[in-house]
Amino acid sequence: MTSRTVFFNVVRFFFLIPIQVLILNHINFSGYISPYYYIYFILLLPFDTPKWMLLVSAFLLGWSVDVFTNTIGLNAAACVLMAFFRPFVIRAISSGPESLMGDTPSLKNQGLKWFLYYSVILVVIHHVALFYLEIFRLSEFFATFVRVLLSSAFTLVLVLISEYMLYPRGK
Amino acid sequence: MRNLYLFFRQHYFYFLFLLLETLSLVLFFNYNEFQGSSLYNVSNAVSGVVNSMYSGISEYFTLRKTNRVLIEEMAKLHSRIPEAFYVTDQNIFYKKDTIVNLEYKYISAKVISNSTNKRNNFLMINKGSIHGLMNHMGVIIGNKIVGQVVSVSPHFSWIMSLLNKDSRISGKFKKNNQLVNVEWNGGSYRKGQVREIPKHVVMVVGDTIITSGNSDIFPEGLLIGTISGYTNAQDENFNNGEILFSTDFNSLGYVEVVVDMMRKEKDELRATFKSQ
Repeated sequence: MTSRTVFFNVVRFFFLIPIQVLILNHINFSGYISPYYYIYFILLLPFDTPKWMLLVSAFLLGWSVDVFTNTIGLNAAACVLMAFFRPFVIRAISSGPESLMGDTPSLKNQGLKWFLYYSVILVVIHHVALFYLEIFRLSEFFATFVRVLLSSAFTLVLVLISEYMLYPRGK
Repeated sequence: MRNLYLFFRQHYFYFLFLLLETLSLVLFFNYNEFQGSSLYNVSNAVSGVVNSMYSGISEYFTLRKTNRVLIEEMAKLHSRIPEAFYVTDQNIFYKKDTIVNLEYKYISAKVISNSTNKRNNFLMINKGSIHGLMNHMGVIIGNKIVGQVVSVSPHFSWIMSLLNKDSRISGKFKKNNQLVNVEWNGGSYRKGQVREIPKHVVMVVGDTIITSGNSDIFPEGLLIGTISGYTNAQDENFNNGEILFSTDFNSLGYVEVVVDMMRKEKDELRATFKSQ
């Protein structure tokens, strides 16, 4: 990791939290869709991030969002779980060393298919943990499931839009 | 010993994960006690400042509605001043001060953060313990209910909205005083659930549900909402209904905190009963 990558990731950390807290937390479509775009930070951490750094930065990210929503520990737990699964997901969907080109996971480096697999799995893990922990009741299982699916889709759309905006030429 | 060290070094990722995840979950499930600690007050102060900045900008967008509410309220108050009454009887009755004691006092506060899209929604208002707010005080807007105070810092308070899984309001039918419970199951913020309606109560769509005054949080007779649908359960002892909330939780600007002046006396009475 170069100091340039570290700098960009730190900037992204402090950029995504206000976006989440000041804009996205106020979005509400029919009580079912609430996007959690701030986890884009975890998706974009470089491949060679030390594993302890991965977990600790995810914890700090979730904690920072929690402070503003009065849900101490909720986002932190979901983020740490997502960060824990990240190395396993990367290993499972990468067929060979050629699929891990570049420093960071991105649409440009790995192609649409790889990036979709990668982000769908991790976003769904995060959203499942978040929504079911928040409710912690089995009686609303299916209503929560719908919320997870719709919100994950919305978060993914935001992630893909930002990927295309950052790398307009695609591959 | 060396092997143990190597074992920890090799699998430190798993141990660190377990440590952080447990920490998050413990904080999440115990954060009610956690609110007393100094760390929470610091984070409350930070988020309070950010949220007031946000509402300072966003309140401009609701000025039209705020104006309308204020004008309506003013008209209501104007109709209550003595000059608005035509005196039909020249007899004058004197009221002794000791007959009437003030039971409820109202403190107005501005909402600086609010949500309706979570399963558990909270509001933050810009009044806190230095203004006399305490936990378990009710929060209303006009004659409609909003929620109750769950955490207080010197300048700000967190309000648990009615739109919360832990929120349960004791209400009653306006027409026949039958007691019910009002809850919120998630989904649309306009609609909630009415539980434990006795089977013999005949409901029609449009029945008004008001607060019962049994809980010490809200005075009696505040509007909760109107019945918008119901089911007649076959095997249970109670029917359930759907309620259309009177409060529009998505456009709360200024709210009032209900201070029960006789709270202490009620609590003491209850404590003496328990101790016997």
